[in-house]
Amino acid sequence: MSAVIQETAQGGTLVSLRNLNKHYGDFTAVDNINLDIRDGEFLTFLGSSGSGKSTTLSMLAGFETPSSGEILVEGKSLVNVPPHKRDIGMVFQRYSLFPHLSVRDNIGFPLDIRKQKGDARERRVDAMLKLVQLEKFAQRRPAQLSGGQQQRVAIARALVYEPRILLMDEPLGALDKKLREDLQDELRHLHRRLGITIVYVTHDQEEAMRLSQRIAIFSHGKIVGLGSGYDLYQNPPNTFVASFLGNSNFLRVQAQGNAAARFESASLAIRPTGGLREGQDLVLMIRPEKALALSAEQAAAQPLQAGWNEVGATVQEVVFLGESQTCSVTTVGGTQLTLKALSGGQPLHPGSPVRVRWAAADACVYSQWNESDLVKGAH
Amino acid sequence: MLLSPNAMGPRLRGGLYLTTGLIAAFLLLPIVFIVLLSFGSSQWLVFPPPGWTLKWYAQFFANPEWMDAALASLKVAVLTTICAVALGLPTAFALVRGRFPGRELLYGLFTLPMIVPLVIIAVAVYALFLKLGYTGTLFAFVVSHVIVALPFTIISIINSLKLFDQSTEDAAVICGASRLQAVFKVTFPAIRPGMVAGGLFAFLVSWDEVVLSVMMASPTLQTLPVKMWTTLRQDLTPVIAVASTLLIGLSVLVMLAAALLRRRNEVSA
Repeated sequence: MSAVIQETAQGGTLVSLRNLNKHYGDFTAVDNINLDIRDGEFLTFLGSSGSGKSTTLSMLAGFETPSSGEILVEGKSLVNVPPHKRDIGMVFQRYSLFPHLSVRDNIGFPLDIRKQKGDARERRVDAMLKLVQLEKFAQRRPAQLSGGQQQRVAIARALVYEPRILLMDEPLGALDKKLREDLQDELRHLHRRLGITIVYVTHDQEEAMRLSQRIAIFSHGKIVGLGSGYDLYQNPPNTFVASFLGNSNFLRVQAQGNAAARFESASLAIRPTGGLREGQDLVLMIRPEKALALSAEQAAAQPLQAGWNEVGATVQEVVFLGESQTCSVTTVGGTQLTLKALSGGQPLHPGSPVRVRWAAADACVYSQWNESDLVKGAH
Repeated sequence: MLLSPNAMGPRLRGGLYLTTGLIAAFLLLPIVFIVLLSFGSSQWLVFPPPGWTLKWYAQFFANPEWMDAALASLKVAVLTTICAVALGLPTAFALVRGRFPGRELLYGLFTLPMIVPLVIIAVAVYALFLKLGYTGTLFAFVVSHVIVALPFTIISIINSLKLFDQSTEDAAVICGASRLQAVFKVTFPAIRPGMVAGGLFAFLVSWDEVVLSVMMASPTLQTLPVKMWTTLRQDLTPVIAVASTLLIGLSVLVMLAAALLRRRNEVSA
């Protein structure tokens, strides 16, 4: 799922956020965040608007001052360092190029501010123009470029002074889908080549998956999930992350020992989970693509494998989506499930009975959850 | 669209052209008359002029009183422009970016001189300066003109500052520029059209201001409009038409400069 699965060549911690808070009056935008950003990693803050991801990035850049807490870079506090002295690069959503300067002078601006002149300046600007493939457009004004080209200028301008950290605040949000995907690939290659630490903010989970080595999922000012896209998707730490990332089915069950549970009238195998009380309410989460829907004949022909569960259900709706089909079913007890993988070529029809199977190891077990997350889950 | 000239019938369109032409004539004819009269040979401002001459222009430029008045006008207008922009710029920043109680009220206060009858401001400023002994000084002229010019300057700068995306300034800061450097190197160039337009407005307001100026004037210091006003009350000489023509001429030049500047900005943006 994650484009850069397990590429753990990074060094130690570069940036540490310690008990970071930001309040606006009564409103808590960032709620006691603790996070270590590794040197050289591509980390994405993923969340919906108002989740605190942009405010956290803004505090990293220095445009917002934390209400309390620490921001440490290699152990040194950054809180009282003004943004222009942080040596951090940043790319903004609306490009934010200087309209009165040419592409060349936009990229050269950070060097001019640092009083770097002559050949050294020109060489570095040339190198950046080449990096973002805009050599031909050096003399143009920003207004004469397309959105994608403008954003590449902004990236070059943020990289020209070789900052160790590059912050990107929804940099591709204003571009259309095709261009966005092209630039995502470019960005990933750029990160590999330069080995720079990138902190990226987006509300687009596909983008986060495609780009990042690690994702921090924000909700209500807190980080509610941190890990690789693969881990967060396969083993969400909580029901919020489970319902937020991709689609999910939630089953309400009661514990029967540590490795079994009662679902409606059936008994299911679950992942062995410690500390369960007999009869305790639990929630199982199964990704749609991990469950199979089999017709009665198919079920009879294929014996249930060890470690798999099976429940009976009735087909509600089948939607053909090209590379896959979505099948909505309802169990005897009225639980709605959405399944993606259909076994065999035989089409299923609304109203026909099916047997739903999944491996117990593929279902996550939660002993705590928010009801609102369960409602959001199935689509 | 109903009001698009292209979609109209020929008769409707003809009517539109006629109405527009009449309105333009109504607005422009007095100016055309004055300009023509300044070249007329009759000293009684007869129209149409019996002949053409430049002697009134010669008289104007030979008369030190007229020349002093013109120079005073120019001095007051330039100083007013500088002061209005220098004060309007920080005011506009505070009104656009400031987050403080009473901001709206302050905006109303700054634009009040556009609504308050000029005579009231004139009397108030006159009473104050009379008490302080400042009437008849360059200072009094400039201060009183800045009061009425400032709203135009502030509004003009506010408009361009609102269009400016502040993240562009933030981008300069994260690139290593201090906030002040960023404002000077990025924000000011970006809002320059608004600053220049605001300055030109201030210049024009001061250049043809007469009500305040009549109050502030002394026998030794008066602006061109004041000199015209006082001359007009004594005798009706075509030299007044010359002064009017010069007054209008410079105003038109300033407007043209503003229009050219705007067009250049539209092309580059």
